[in-house]
Amino acid sequence: MTKPKVEKFIVPIGPQHPALKEPGNFEFTVDGEIVTDAAVRLGFVHRGIEKACETRNYIQDMYMLERVCGICSHVHATAFVLGVEKLAGVQAPPRAEAIRVLASELERIHSHLLWFGVAAHEAGFDTLFMYTWRDREVVMDILETLSGSRVHYSVNVMGGVKVDLDDKTSDQIKKGMDFLEERTEYYMKVVTTDETFLGRTRGIGTLSRERVDLLGAVGPTARASGAQRDIRVNAPYSGYKDFPVKIVTDETGDLEARFVVRLKELYESYRLIKEILEKIQPGEITTRMKRKIPAGEVISRVEAPRGELFYYIKSNGTEIPERVKIRTPSLCNWGTITDVAVGHKLADMPMLLVGIDPCFSCNDRMVEVRSGSQTSQIMNWDGLRKYGIEYYR
Amino acid sequence: MNLSIHPLILLLIFPGGLFLLSFGLLYEWVDRKLVARFQNRVGPRWFQPLADAIKLLAKEEIIPNGVHKIMFLLLPIVAITGALTAALYVPMFGFNAAFSFEGDLIVVLYLLSLMTLCIGLAGANTLSRFTIIGATRALTQMFSYEAPFLLAMLGPAIAAGTWNIGKINAFAGENIWFILAQPIGFIVAVVGLMGKLELPPFDAPEAETEIVAGALTEYSGRGLALFHLGKNVELVIGLTLVVVFYLGGIANPLEFILKSAGLFLVVTALQSLFARLRIDQTVGLWWRLGALMALLQLLAIIFGKYLGEILR
Amino acid sequence: MSIGVLLGDLLKSLFSKPVTQNYPFKKSITPDLLRGKLVYDPEKCVGCMLCIKDCPSNAIELITVDKLNKRFVMRYHADRCVYCSQCVQNCRFNCLNMSNSEWEMASTSKEAFEVYYGREEDIALLLERAAQPGIDEPPCE
Repeated sequence: MTKPKVEKFIVPIGPQHPALKEPGNFEFTVDGEIVTDAAVRLGFVHRGIEKACETRNYIQDMYMLERVCGICSHVHATAFVLGVEKLAGVQAPPRAEAIRVLASELERIHSHLLWFGVAAHEAGFDTLFMYTWRDREVVMDILETLSGSRVHYSVNVMGGVKVDLDDKTSDQIKKGMDFLEERTEYYMKVVTTDETFLGRTRGIGTLSRERVDLLGAVGPTARASGAQRDIRVNAPYSGYKDFPVKIVTDETGDLEARFVVRLKELYESYRLIKEILEKIQPGEITTRMKRKIPAGEVISRVEAPRGELFYYIKSNGTEIPERVKIRTPSLCNWGTITDVAVGHKLADMPMLLVGIDPCFSCNDRMVEVRSGSQTSQIMNWDGLRKYGIEYYR
Repeated sequence: MNLSIHPLILLLIFPGGLFLLSFGLLYEWVDRKLVARFQNRVGPRWFQPLADAIKLLAKEEIIPNGVHKIMFLLLPIVAITGALTAALYVPMFGFNAAFSFEGDLIVVLYLLSLMTLCIGLAGANTLSRFTIIGATRALTQMFSYEAPFLLAMLGPAIAAGTWNIGKINAFAGENIWFILAQPIGFIVAVVGLMGKLELPPFDAPEAETEIVAGALTEYSGRGLALFHLGKNVELVIGLTLVVVFYLGGIANPLEFILKSAGLFLVVTALQSLFARLRIDQTVGLWWRLGALMALLQLLAIIFGKYLGEILR
Repeated sequence: MSIGVLLGDLLKSLFSKPVTQNYPFKKSITPDLLRGKLVYDPEKCVGCMLCIKDCPSNAIELITVDKLNKRFVMRYHADRCVYCSQCVQNCRFNCLNMSNSEWEMASTSKEAFEVYYGREEDIALLLERAAQPGIDEPPCE
């Protein structure tokens, strides 16, 4: 008996799709509403940042690396600055470290509230989307008062920070945190008890602990399945040595667990910020640092809102770095989608995508693939352009 | 109230045709404004739906490759025609229905389903991956919501003892409001209405974040404008039907405005309250629960009528 | 297990004012540290060029009119600037600061984004010199 020919019906999500805020291509093979196969393609936002780092000096690089991503901009700059300070053997003063941690936690709150709104929008729950983004404005106003800009705060300089904390800002932050804590309790209630929302999140996309370890997931995605991975706790850096955090995990591993983990992290952030405001010591906010950084290599790891952010900096003794390599947390989490997608309905796909909190701009770095059979090719600019035009013809 | 106007004016200008279309735009504005206020936003100004319609009519209509051209162009026209024709048998704006005969309830419900059928066909006709999924979902949802809605409309019809909407209107105006006499039927009717009109939380056929725009993805320009206008007219007629049947009938324009406004508020609140249900959840929920509830209600009515007969 | 958890908030929102800010009819008060347009004071400048050295986007150019008498003109490209305030940080003589009132800089022409700071007569001299054909500008960093 001959097998009937199976026609593949592929639904593309991306590169341009209302579900995605940035371009990325996911192709789901569906049979009715059930997904039978999934494939991921990235690379649409590659901007050549790592190459551009090699022609600018360290200070200019810090500002450029801040603009790798809009929501996690401060942690990129912090990771870079911590690495360079380690190479130069300089330790920023304690008040500067505390302010860096303050900005990191405020950014974490901002990122989680933004993500929550986007996730609600993907579930079709526009009302919750509007409410969470209304509350996000409180954090953005605080950040504007503290640093001067709502996005890309630029509080870091080599050797410290450039903004200081005064009483008025401190009061505004405290009031903001109290307000947000109340609202977060309300959102926690919505996420864990609303029937329609639970129907979209409970039992969907369950990742077991073994799969998480195998795939190398990081951040809240891994913590929702019980993995104890948090750089702030495992390898404390900067101000986290003075102001420790508690790790937040959940056992279930489905979408609801990811929501709950991120909301609980918000509580931790509120507590930490209030503690910093109480206990911060007056002092200097910057130390002198030479412009020429001694030769060497350094690895710098920080905890971005999405997971572990990894920087490798190699210096050759001049004012210009030799190589900067970035590995962002979202890159580790893509594997979890294709792993889990088969068997779910098509309507669950946007929710799964948003559950790992994807940040496409952070992602597109260059990966070297060594294939045993093919020889490598070197193209110059014109050749590359010609290749691109003819590929689509 | 009764109106005696020349049938051509009745059909084209008032209360059908142009007046109905602009009333549909007004309802769309109220819907968007109320939803915005529930979400703490400002919402659009009064002429926004009109501006949208004019803008769409002014744009070029792009016909994708591989479609059946005549069907592509004809389906929006058939859809809006069905909706406008259904308005002739419903007592709009407090006046008696323009044309009425025994059994026009069934005709109206069929004409309203014509709209959903046209959307489903339009989606299947356009061979894009998103539209085919959207068409499948639209037709599936139609199957699971039409039946309970019809049963819910049947309740007052049985109580009034006639299939004529005009007579049901008069009956409802004289007796106790059916929302109190048949509460289960009212719930089934409202949920069925939201499912028919593809309002959130039942807007899986048109889920923006999953399948772009569902069955209407490839439509642009005039076709899309006609579909949107058709949907607005269906909203008006659907709300009016539920008001006539369950909220005590409409005797004059003032009652029409007040009762429709009350029902509209409830429907808009329900719109903003829930997350979107997946298509299998909507069908699974309502095919069982809704049909069961409607049947229960019918049994109660028949029983009540039987009791009434015995006691007389 | 509950349906419609948001109902309380919904009803409250219906009866309160929307939170949307009615810009441009109503503008909120900007914080003091806001990083708006760069402002340069030519009187204090000594011409050390440190601000230009660290600018990530080459947004500042300093044109020397008279080195001995410390007369400089700054050409500031507001469209290239990323508003990082590193130049403000670097300057040791307090010539630069970022305005917290001028932040609405949208414009329909490119000329509005090339801003000249300096004494009036210096700027006039420069523009006159540039308008003459065949004359090269004095070298700027």
